[in-house]
Amino acid sequence: MVFIITALLVEATPIIQYFKLKKDMNIHAYQVYRNSEMALIISGVGKIKSAMAAMYLCSVYHADKQDILMNIGFCGTNNIKYQPGDMLIINKVTDMDTGYDYYPDIYYSAGIPQENIRCYSTPVLSKDHTNEKMIVCDMESAGIMEAAKKITYAHNVIILKIISDYLTPENLDKGLLQNYIRKQLPKIEDIIHEVKQMNRSLNEISLKDEKEALDALSEKLKFSESMKQMLLKKIKKAKLQGLNPLNILESSMNMEVNSKTEGKKIFEQISKKFEEMSI
Amino acid sequence: MSKSVKNLKKCPFNTIYIEEAAYEYPITQKVLQKYPDCVTITIKHYKDVFNRTNQHFVTQKQHPSLILAVKENQFLYTGPEVCQNFGYSRFYYTSFLLNCLFDCEYCYLQGMYPSANIVAFVNVSDFQSAMEPIAAKEPAYLAVSYDTDLIAFHNIIPYMDYFYDFFKQHSNLFIEIRTKSANQTFYNNHTPMENMIIAFTLAPECVIKNYEKYTPSLESRIQAIHAAINNGFKVRICFDPIFIHPEFDEQYELFFKNVFERIRPEQIFDVGYGFFRISRDFFKRISRQRKNSTLFLEEFSVHNNVVSYSEELQEKVRSKHFEILTQYIEKEKIFSL
Repeated sequence: MVFIITALLVEATPIIQYFKLKKDMNIHAYQVYRNSEMALIISGVGKIKSAMAAMYLCSVYHADKQDILMNIGFCGTNNIKYQPGDMLIINKVTDMDTGYDYYPDIYYSAGIPQENIRCYSTPVLSKDHTNEKMIVCDMESAGIMEAAKKITYAHNVIILKIISDYLTPENLDKGLLQNYIRKQLPKIEDIIHEVKQMNRSLNEISLKDEKEALDALSEKLKFSESMKQMLLKKIKKAKLQGLNPLNILESSMNMEVNSKTEGKKIFEQISKKFEEMSI
Repeated sequence: MSKSVKNLKKCPFNTIYIEEAAYEYPITQKVLQKYPDCVTITIKHYKDVFNRTNQHFVTQKQHPSLILAVKENQFLYTGPEVCQNFGYSRFYYTSFLLNCLFDCEYCYLQGMYPSANIVAFVNVSDFQSAMEPIAAKEPAYLAVSYDTDLIAFHNIIPYMDYFYDFFKQHSNLFIEIRTKSANQTFYNNHTPMENMIIAFTLAPECVIKNYEKYTPSLESRIQAIHAAINNGFKVRICFDPIFIHPEFDEQYELFFKNVFERIRPEQIFDVGYGFFRISRDFFKRISRQRKNSTLFLEEFSVHNNVVSYSEELQEKVRSKHFEILTQYIEKEKIFSL
C-alpha cells in the first residue's frame, strides 16, 4: 500500500482526483481518502502534525515494512535555478530545531533533481533569510522521516517537494498551486511504480497454500509447534529450489495417528521425504 | 537526459556521502574528481547514514552508496578466533573500507553491519600512525582486507598505493591482502615485497554461481593469480568457506585438481582451508534479511556460538579433501580451522 501525507487540502485535491481516491467515512480524526492500493491523509501544517498523521494512517491501515510512505507537498526556495512548479526529490532532511539529519534511500530518478531540505517550525521568509546560502525549506518533512523510522524501510520513504515560491509564501493562488501538483502527477505515479517494482522483487516467496496444508496436517497428526516450524523451513527450502512441497504434504494427509509418539514417527518420515526431495 | 539519470550509468555508486571533515583529504578530492556527476550529500558523521535503522541490506547491495569518512579511533583490531593466524602469535586486522563490492550470500558482514553501503576511510596517515607501534615490536601478522576486498576496490580508491611504501618500510608487519578480485592492476604496477602475501579465495564455479554474486569467475581469479605470481608476489590460496552440500561435494574434488593443474603448487606459499562458519547472532540476523536464501535454511550445528557443520561431518569431508590437497601441497603448508 502507498500512504501519502499532505499538509493541506490544496496539495491533496489533485492527488485525490488523479488516483480516484474516495473519502474514508469511518475515520473522523483526519480527512483520509483511499482506494484499494493507496491512502492519503491531510495532516495540517508542521512536523509534529505530519508525524502524528503518518503514524495514525499507518496504524489504521496496518502498514508493514513493504509499504511506501510518501510526503507530497510544497516547499520554498531562494534558489532561482528552480522555477515555481518544479519538483524535487529530497535526499536529506535537516530538522532545524534539533539539527538532526535524516536520509531516505533513493533508487529512482524519473529525471527529477535531488536536493537537501531544511525543515523549519515556522515559515521562512526571504526577508528573514538574508545570507546567500541556497536553501530549500518546508515544515513537514522531518516529522515524516521521524515517523518513517518506525514504519518502513529507508528506501520506501519518499519526500517529493514542489516549489511554490521564493520564500514569499503570502497570497499564493490556490488554482495555480493545484496545477503545479497536477502537472507532476504522472512522474509521481512513475516513482510509485518504480519503488513498488523494487519491493516486489524483494518479496519473500509466498507459502500461503503450503502453510494452510501444513496447519491441517499438523492438527491431524498432532505435530507440536516446533515440529511445525521445522517442517515449514523444509517446505520453504524445497519451494525455493523450484520443487513442489505440497505433494508431500497432501500425500501425508491420509495418515492417521492415535498418539503424539505416532505423530513424531510420521513427522520423521515426512522430514526424510523433504530431505530426499531437496537433494 | 537529466543529470541524475546520467549518474546512474557513470558512477558505480548510487550516492556519495561525504563527511564534513573528509573533504580536506586527497582521497576524497580524487574520488569526487573521478565521479563528478554522482549525487553527493554532505553529512556530519558516517554513522548518521551507515547506522540508520530500517535499512534494507539486500536492496542496498544492488545499489550501493559510498560514504567517505574520517576514522576517529581504533585503527587496528586483534584477529578473531574464527580466522586463521597462519602461525603468528600477534595477529591484527584493520579496515580501511567497511563492506565490499561483491555480494556473497554467506558473508558475515551482512550480519555485522546495519548497512550494505561502503564506508571508505580517507585518513590514511592516521592508520599508519596506529600501525607504527605494532610494527616497532616483534613481527606481527596484519590482515588488511578482511571486512572488504581492497583489490576489487583498487580502481576506485587504490588503498594499496597509499600504503605500499609504508608496508615496505615496516618489514615487521606481515601483510595479508585477501581477495576474490580479478583486478591485476596492483600486481602489474608494483614490485612485490617480502612481507606481503596476496590471499586469493577460490571456490568451485557452482559455489561462485550460487553464493558469490558479482564476483569474478574461477577462471578470471586463476588468471589474476598467474599475474601475481608472474610479478613475483607471494600467493596464498584460500579454500574458505567450504560448503558441504550434495550438489557441490563432487565438484570440490574436481575443483582442487583443476586448481593445482592450472597453478603450480610450488609457486604457492601456503593454503588456507575452512568450512562455512558464522556467529550465531550474525546467522540469525542474515536469515531475517536473506528471506529467499536456501543456505540459511540448511541444517547446521552450533558450537561455542558459532554456526557451522557438525565436527564429525567436517572431519569426514576434510580428510577426503586433504587426501587430494596433500597430493599437491605438503600438509604443513595447509592451515585449517
